[in-house]
Amino acid sequence: MLVNKRSLLTGLLAVAVAAAAAACSSGGSSNASGGGSGSSTLKIITWVNPPTITAFKQIDAEFEKANPGIKVTLQTAANVNGPYKTLAQQAVNSGSADIITYNFPFQPLPPNPSQSNETPVQYWGTNGAFLSLSGQSFLSDYTPTALASQTYQGKTYGLLSGVYQQGVFYNKAIFAQYHLSVPTTYNEFIALCKTLQSHGVQPLYTALGGVGPVYLQFIYNEAMADLWTPTAPGGNLASDLIHGTVKWTDPAFVQAMTEEKTVASYLEPNYTGIPWQDMAGGGEFTSGKAAMQLDGTWDMASDHLANPKLQIGFFPLPFSNVAADNQPIVQPDLAFYVLSHAQNQAAALKWLKFFSTPSIYAQYVNTTGISSAQTSGTFNGFSASAIGSWFGKGVNVNNMMPVMSPSNGPNDQTATWPNLQLQVIQGKLSPAKAAAEYQADWKTAS
Amino acid sequence: MTKAPVTTGDAVRGKARRARPARLLSRTSKITMWGGLALALVVYLLFGIGPMIGNVIISFTDYTQLAWATTHVVGFANYASMFTSQSTAFYQSIVTTVVFTLAVTLGQSALGLLLAHKLVGDSKWAAVGRLLVFVPIALGVTIVGLVWIMIFDPAQGPATSFFGLFGVHSAFLGADGWALGIVIFVQIWQNAGFSTLVFIGGLRAIDPSLYEAGAMDGIGTWRRLRKITFPLLAPSVTANVMLALVGAFTTYNLIYVLTGGGSSYGTQTLGMLAFNDAFGVNAETNLGYGAAVTVALFVMTLVVATPVLIYLRGRERRLLR
Repeated sequence: MLVNKRSLLTGLLAVAVAAAAAACSSGGSSNASGGGSGSSTLKIITWVNPPTITAFKQIDAEFEKANPGIKVTLQTAANVNGPYKTLAQQAVNSGSADIITYNFPFQPLPPNPSQSNETPVQYWGTNGAFLSLSGQSFLSDYTPTALASQTYQGKTYGLLSGVYQQGVFYNKAIFAQYHLSVPTTYNEFIALCKTLQSHGVQPLYTALGGVGPVYLQFIYNEAMADLWTPTAPGGNLASDLIHGTVKWTDPAFVQAMTEEKTVASYLEPNYTGIPWQDMAGGGEFTSGKAAMQLDGTWDMASDHLANPKLQIGFFPLPFSNVAADNQPIVQPDLAFYVLSHAQNQAAALKWLKFFSTPSIYAQYVNTTGISSAQTSGTFNGFSASAIGSWFGKGVNVNNMMPVMSPSNGPNDQTATWPNLQLQVIQGKLSPAKAAAEYQADWKTAS
Repeated sequence: MTKAPVTTGDAVRGKARRARPARLLSRTSKITMWGGLALALVVYLLFGIGPMIGNVIISFTDYTQLAWATTHVVGFANYASMFTSQSTAFYQSIVTTVVFTLAVTLGQSALGLLLAHKLVGDSKWAAVGRLLVFVPIALGVTIVGLVWIMIFDPAQGPATSFFGLFGVHSAFLGADGWALGIVIFVQIWQNAGFSTLVFIGGLRAIDPSLYEAGAMDGIGTWRRLRKITFPLLAPSVTANVMLALVGAFTTYNLIYVLTGGGSSYGTQTLGMLAFNDAFGVNAETNLGYGAAVTVALFVMTLVVATPVLIYLRGRERRLLR
């Protein structure tokens, strides 16, 4: 009896230790190049966005066919937030990936970049975690704007895969039914909304449930771009605000917020509580009840999938009565970075070159619905057709919305800035008061 | 005078007189007991005390978990931030935490007692009822949260139709006031089952002869509840109130699932604030500041829970002596 109990306890302890050892050893999988004769492994990490994963897998298969000695491993995290941040941190710490992807902006950097005010990708880029791509032949395929967004002190550290755009998705069939033309000015837009309302059609649709006021960006970004950016003395509103040459109390910003409130009055009731996922299919726009959806083009492919019969068009949300001032918002999206301590840099650079070839890049753009960051190319995917002449064009959001320093007051933090916008739109705060509060909490660069 | 020598017989008789004390546990049982306790203590130290100490240490640094970055000791700067640059969010989250905790503690305990009263019996329906009230806890926070998001979807959720009957239209989880109310309701709904089971245990421990004596004295239902049931449930009340109180103070996961966790719509409790600041609603993480907020949350929990516990234990002693 004594021996049996002791054996049982010993056995249980041994099993527990073995299980713990097995669990600890599973996280350190090696991706070192090796394997068979002359073959190597290229590891890429990214987050799950179904069209993007589809595109990557197609590209990887074709790359392996063209480069028989290289095997591509694609590791993904569930989403771009916590799970991917952790994966990226691990990769940068250990060099366990060759190419990492990120969609947080590299440029513009904050005025005095430091660990406390840079995003992870900015910190890594300015501290040597990324390999410089300067001099690589494939960079010449990309627009100067795309290259500039990834350049620091004259060296390019990332390859921008494309840009998404913010604007208005519209239902072409509803417009045709009521003989409506695409509006190019603010007055035309408001008149169009009134016409739709008079026919019992929901004019505008957007959804903030689960994300909060940040999705009002589809309104305030356009308002600032159309009304304020053209008046920025330095031509770059973000820089002007950071250096104090323009203040938040500028009359153009007050006018922008005034018009935002009017535009938002045509949104569906209780939009702040409707789940944001409905904008990617299942909401009133894809079901044909709402005439227009305020959104980013990352949802266009999903909307098309949700209702293939829906004929979607695109135009910038006009806040100015000068038609030429009304532009979509352009938002740099996924970029590739080669780790400076990657184990297979040669294969990583080969992959980026392969990705940049016109046919492969067009395949990526057509599959993901992203707008092109290259200087030329023919794109016939659904999004390219729907966006039409605006494809890839617009005001870069990073040249308009300044980086918010953690040392700013509470209303000028990245997480809380949209809260005042919601209060203005809901009529709880006047535009002038909101502007004053933004200015009071703002710290300019010294 | 010489001392008489001790003979072998004397030694044996001495041993017989000095009988060994009786053992409650065998040697093997003692080894097993201490071994199990030691294992549990090691696990608690590794996964409880260790991280807690680590958290306090991190609160004095600018640690961001950022790869390739260096960490610096910043002294009390994170704590100072709570009362200066971050004071608006910090004070607001304290108010939200107090409201949330008070409502959940009272609501969960009251609902648990009511359900226990109805489900304490031995009938088949009572057994089914006890199973059903425990289901929300078993489902987990994510499923519970997603279900209630669908229910409170302003576009097509059943809550919209229900409240519409009374002429009430709301964005629910996207509206000030409503959002916090719904979060409180779901927290109570999910955890009332646990309170119910604790109260059922307490009710079953009450001697039935006390109720018989009360019946003979002709006391009614309400007096029976006030004079017999409730006083004798004192230990269960203590357990439920303390668990609900501490649970409500530290809740953030349900709020995160229901509302996305942001600072809008008044649902950012201290626990949610710590999560948002530590792991970044923004691109940047600030684990040092988030750790400081969790230390503040711990202090607040201690400050509130300790006098409540002292009062409730004192009440137990008064009622049950």
